[in-house]
Amino acid sequence: MSTSSFKYEKANRSLMERLFEPPAIGKMSPVAKVVAYGLLAFWSLFVIFPIYWVVITAFKDAAAVNQGPFYIPFVDFQPNLNAWRIHLSDPNCDLYAIGRQFVLLAYNSFAFIISPIVDIGAMEPQICRVYHAFTNSLVIGIASTALCVTVGSMAAYALARIQYKPKFGNAAIFVLLTLVMIAATSYAGIPWYVSSAVALALFFLMARAFGKHFKSTLGNGDILFWIISQRILPPIVVIIPIYMMFQAVGLLDTHLALIIVYAVANLPIVVWLMHDFFASLPVELEESAQLDGASRFGIFWDIVLPLTRPGLAATTLLTLILNWNEYLFAVFLSTARAQTMPIMVAAKNAGEKGILWWEMCAIIVVMIIPVIIMAIFLQRFIARGVLLGAVKG
Amino acid sequence: MASTAGVPVTFDNIAKSFGPVRVLEELSLKVAPGEFLVLLGASGSGKTTALRILAGLETATSGRILIGDREVTEVLPKYRDVSMVFQSYALYPHKTVAENIGFPLKVRKVPKDQQEAAIRDAAAQVQIDQLLDRYPRQLSGGQRQRVALARAMVRRPSVFLMDEPLSNLDAKLRGHMRAELKHMQSTLGTTTIYVTHDQIEAMTLAHRVAILEKGVLQQLDTPARIYNDPANLFVAQFIGSPPMNVVHGSLENASFITRSGRVEVPVSGRIDKAILGARPEDCGVVPAGQGHLGAEIYTVELIGDHTLVTVKAGEDLLTVKAPKDFSGTTGENIGITFSKDQLFVFDAASGARVR
Amino acid sequence: MTSTTTYQPGNSPAGLFKARSWGEWVDHHSRTFFIAPAVVLILIFAIFPTFYSIVFALSRVRFRATGLQFRFVWFDNFIAQFTGNEQAHFLGRLTGMSFVGWIFALAMTALAIWWLYRSWQNRTHWIFLVGRLISAAMFIFIGWILALTLLSGNPWGTMMTTLFYVIVGCSIQFVIGTGLAFLCSQPISGKNFFRVLFFIPLMITPLGVGYAFKMVLDITKGPLQPLWDAIGLQDWAWSTDAWAARWFVILGDSWQWIPFIFIVMLAALENVSRDQVEAAQVDGASSVQIFREITWPQIVPVAVTVILIRMIEAFKIVDLPNIMTSGGPGIATESMTLHSYFLWRANDMGSSAAVAYLLLILTVVVCASFFNYVVLGQLRRAK
Repeated sequence: MSTSSFKYEKANRSLMERLFEPPAIGKMSPVAKVVAYGLLAFWSLFVIFPIYWVVITAFKDAAAVNQGPFYIPFVDFQPNLNAWRIHLSDPNCDLYAIGRQFVLLAYNSFAFIISPIVDIGAMEPQICRVYHAFTNSLVIGIASTALCVTVGSMAAYALARIQYKPKFGNAAIFVLLTLVMIAATSYAGIPWYVSSAVALALFFLMARAFGKHFKSTLGNGDILFWIISQRILPPIVVIIPIYMMFQAVGLLDTHLALIIVYAVANLPIVVWLMHDFFASLPVELEESAQLDGASRFGIFWDIVLPLTRPGLAATTLLTLILNWNEYLFAVFLSTARAQTMPIMVAAKNAGEKGILWWEMCAIIVVMIIPVIIMAIFLQRFIARGVLLGAVKG
Repeated sequence: MASTAGVPVTFDNIAKSFGPVRVLEELSLKVAPGEFLVLLGASGSGKTTALRILAGLETATSGRILIGDREVTEVLPKYRDVSMVFQSYALYPHKTVAENIGFPLKVRKVPKDQQEAAIRDAAAQVQIDQLLDRYPRQLSGGQRQRVALARAMVRRPSVFLMDEPLSNLDAKLRGHMRAELKHMQSTLGTTTIYVTHDQIEAMTLAHRVAILEKGVLQQLDTPARIYNDPANLFVAQFIGSPPMNVVHGSLENASFITRSGRVEVPVSGRIDKAILGARPEDCGVVPAGQGHLGAEIYTVELIGDHTLVTVKAGEDLLTVKAPKDFSGTTGENIGITFSKDQLFVFDAASGARVR
Repeated sequence: MTSTTTYQPGNSPAGLFKARSWGEWVDHHSRTFFIAPAVVLILIFAIFPTFYSIVFALSRVRFRATGLQFRFVWFDNFIAQFTGNEQAHFLGRLTGMSFVGWIFALAMTALAIWWLYRSWQNRTHWIFLVGRLISAAMFIFIGWILALTLLSGNPWGTMMTTLFYVIVGCSIQFVIGTGLAFLCSQPISGKNFFRVLFFIPLMITPLGVGYAFKMVLDITKGPLQPLWDAIGLQDWAWSTDAWAARWFVILGDSWQWIPFIFIVMLAALENVSRDQVEAAQVDGASSVQIFREITWPQIVPVAVTVILIRMIEAFKIVDLPNIMTSGGPGIATESMTLHSYFLWRANDMGSSAAVAYLLLILTVVVCASFFNYVVLGQLRRAK
C-alpha cells in the first residue's frame, strides 16, 4: 500500500481539511454550512420583517406608532383593535350590514353576468367601505381569472394542436382600416359606433374579396408570439384609450370594465404557460378520442383539461393573485362603485391627518392574508418546475 | 359466437406528401370483408401514414378511401366507424378502466344501461372484468393492452385499425397476446388492418400481408406465398429469420456463376449483374471441394435444435442452417450446396425477380 | 365467450349520430371558436387602444361638453419632450457636457458604430441590419443622455430613472436571486420552508410593499430608528436626496422581485442533470469548477429568459415610486409610467400619450435587442 493513499483516509485529515472539505459527496463542509445557514437566516429575516412590521402596526394605536418604534407586542406596547374597530364599527356597519355584504357578494358575482350595465355598487350606498372593496376585489378577481383562463387556455390549446394560416394581407387590411376608423372618429367627428361598424363590414368584405390573392401566410408560431408579446405593452399606453372606450359605452367604474381589462392584461401569461402544457401532452390520446367520436370541445373538456390540471391550477392561482394586486388599471377605471382593495389602501394616504398607518396596515393585512395562503398552494406547483418549462421554451 | 361478415376496405390510388417529401406513392389495395390484413414495413415505409389516412387522422394528398361501398375520403374520423389501437395504447390516465372502455359509447350518448352491458361484455372478452375500477397506471403492460382492445371493440366498428399494438410488450407476453388477438379477430370477424415492422407478427397474424417500402407497395399476398414466392429482392430479404442469403454473380442460361463456383438455377436468361437468393434452410454444408460453392467458415452459432453456420463465399456472407451436431472451426474451408427448386434469382440493378 | 346482443356491425352506435345538428355545426367551426375569443379580446383591448393612443399623442386634446376634441398637431407632443419645455422632465437638464462626458459619449458612439460595421462586413441580412441600426441608435442616444446628465453633474429625467430601475434593479435582483437559489439547491435541511418563505414577497401587492418599506425605513418612527440615531441621521429624510430615494425604491422593488428570479432559478438548478454533476465529482472537480463547467452552462438559457421577463415587467414600474416617494424629491424617482400618469392627471392627454408611447418604444427596442442578441444566442447554443 502506498503512503499517498493514506492521506485521504478520514482520520488523517488536517483541521483545515476537515473544516473546508465536505465529509462525503452530497454533503457540505462545516464552514460552508455555517455560511449557508447564516445567509439563509439573514434573508429570512429580511423577508419576514416588513410583513411582521405591517402586522404589528395593524394592532397599534396612534400613540404606539407616533412615539417611536415599539417592536414586540405585549412587551413594548399593548396591542389593541382600534384600527380594526374603525373599520368594523363604522356607524353604518353592523353585523347585519356585514351579513348583507356576503349576500351581495354572491349576488354580485352572478348579477354582472345577467346585466353588466346595471351597476351593482350603486344599489348599496357607501357603507362598510372595506367590505365593499373586499367584495369588489373578490368578484373582479375571480371573474376575470375565470374569463382569462378559459379564453386563454382555449387559445393556447388551439395553437398547440390546430394549424392556422392567417393571411398577412388580411392583417394589414385590418390595421389600415383600424387607423382610418380612429382618424375618422377623432378628427372628422363621426360617431364611434358608425365608423367601427363600417370598418368592420369593410374588413370582412375586403378579406373575402382579396383574401384569396394574398400569398404569404402567418403560422401558429407567429400568432403565439403576437399574443405573448402583448405583455411588453406598458399598461399606461392603452389605459387612456381604454378609459375613453368604457366612457363611450357607459361602463366606467363598473365591475365588468375591470374584469375585461384584467383578463386581457393576463391573457399573454395564461396562453404562454398553458401552451407549454398542452404541447407536452401525447397527441395519441386526442386522436384516439377523435376516432371514438368525441368533438373538439369534448376532447378539450373531457381529456385535455383533466390532464393539465396541475398546470391549470398554477396558472389560475397566479392570475388570481395578479388580479388581486393590480393597481394602475383600477386607479383609472374605478372611482367608487367598483373600487378594489388596492385603491382602498391608497386612499388612506390621502387624508389630511397624514397617513393613518394603523388603519392602512389593517387593510393591508386583510389584503395579504388570502394571498399568502394562495402563495403557499401555488408554491407547491412551482416547486415542481411548472413554470420552468415555459421559461425554457 | 357473434361472427358476422365484415366490411371491405378499399385504398384507391392513395398518395401522401408532407411538403416536398413523398411518404406514400399511389397505393391501391382492397381488403376483403373480415380479412386480417397486415401492413408490414420498416420505419418510414409509409405504413402508419396509410393507416392514419384510413382513420381520417391525416388527409390524403390524392386518391379515395372506401369503407364498405361508402366513400369516406373527406369524412371526419368519428363518422368512419373505425376504431384504432395505438402503439402507446392512448388510455386516458384520469379515467378508470370502465370509463376508458365506455368512452366511445358515452360520447355517442348510448343509454347508460346499454353502456354498462357493453362494457362488461367487452371486458369479459379480453378477460379484464376484475379490473374495471382501476386506473391505467395501476395496470401492467399486458392489461393496458387488453383495455385498449376492449375500448376498440366495445362499439363494434366496421374496421379495426391497429398501429403496432404489441411492440411495447415484452417478448413472452407478445407471443401470448398475438395468439389472443388472432383468436379474437376470427371470432368477431371484423375487418382488421394491422401495422407492424415485426415480420413474425405479420406472418403469424395475417390472412394477407402487404409489404411497403419507401411508400411503395412491394407485394400483397398470403404469408406463405410471400415467403415462398417473393416478388423482389426487398421482400425476399425482409421476410425470414435469419434473412435470405444473397450471392452476387451473373446469370448465363440456366446457371448462376460466381467467383467461388457455379449453381444450376430453375430460371434461364442472361444478366451480367445478378443476385442469387437462397434461404438458410435451403442451403447445406458439405466437405471442402464438394457442393456448388467453396467457402470459409466465419462463425458457428449453436441455436438449440440446429446450428447456424455463417460462411464467407467470395465477398458474400451466407448463413446456413446446419444440423445441431455440426462442428467446424473459424477459417476452415467447406463447400455449400443448394436445393435447386428453392433458389431465386434477382436482377441486381432493379431488384426484380427473374422468373 | 358471451354473445353481444345490443350491437351488430352495421347497426353500430356510430349510426346514432345526427349529422346535422347545432352541436355538429359548432364542432365543425371549432377551430375558429377556440381562438376567436382571445384574438378578439386582444384586438379590442390591446391593439385598438395602442393605435388609438397615436391619435392622442399626435393631438392637442380638449374637453368639451360634447366630448373630447382633437386637434392634429403632428409631432409637437414628442418634440416637446425632447427639445421643448418638457425636456428637463423627460431627458434631464442638458446644459454643458463635462470632459468625462465627452469621452464617454464618444466612446459609446464609436463602440456602436464599430459593431454596426462588423455586422455590415459579416453580410448580415438587410432586415437584421435595420434592426441593428435601431438598436445602435438607441444605444448611442442613451449613452449621450447619460454623458450629458450623470457624467456632467446634471439631474436626469424620467427616461434615465426608468432605465436605472430596469438595469440596476434587474442586475441586483438577478445576482441575489440566483445566489439564494444556489444556496437552496445545496444539501440543506428545511429547503421547503425557505422555498415557501422566500417566495411570499412576490405575491404581496406592490402597494403593500411600498407602504411597508416606507414604514420600516422611516427615520423617526421606524424600527431602525436607533440605528439612524447612532449614525447621526435622525434629522435626515429619504425624500431629500435623489440618489437615496432611488435606492430606496430599488430596495422595495428588489424585496418584491428577487423571489421571482429565485423560484425559477431554483427550479432550473434542480433540473441540472444529476449524472453529469456526479460524474464530475467522481472525476475530482471542486464545487466551484462543477458550478462553472457543468451547472452554469445548463442554466444560462433559463437565466437570460428570466432576466428578459423581469426586464419587461420592470419597465412598467409605477406603484412603488408612486407610493414610496411620489416620484420625489422633485422628479428624481419618477418612472415614465408615473410621468405619463401625472400628465394625465394634469389633463395634458397629448403629452401623457406621447410619454407613454416613448416608453413603449424604449421598452420594445431594449427588450427586443436583449432578446435578439442575448437570449436567442443562448437558446441556440443550448440546442
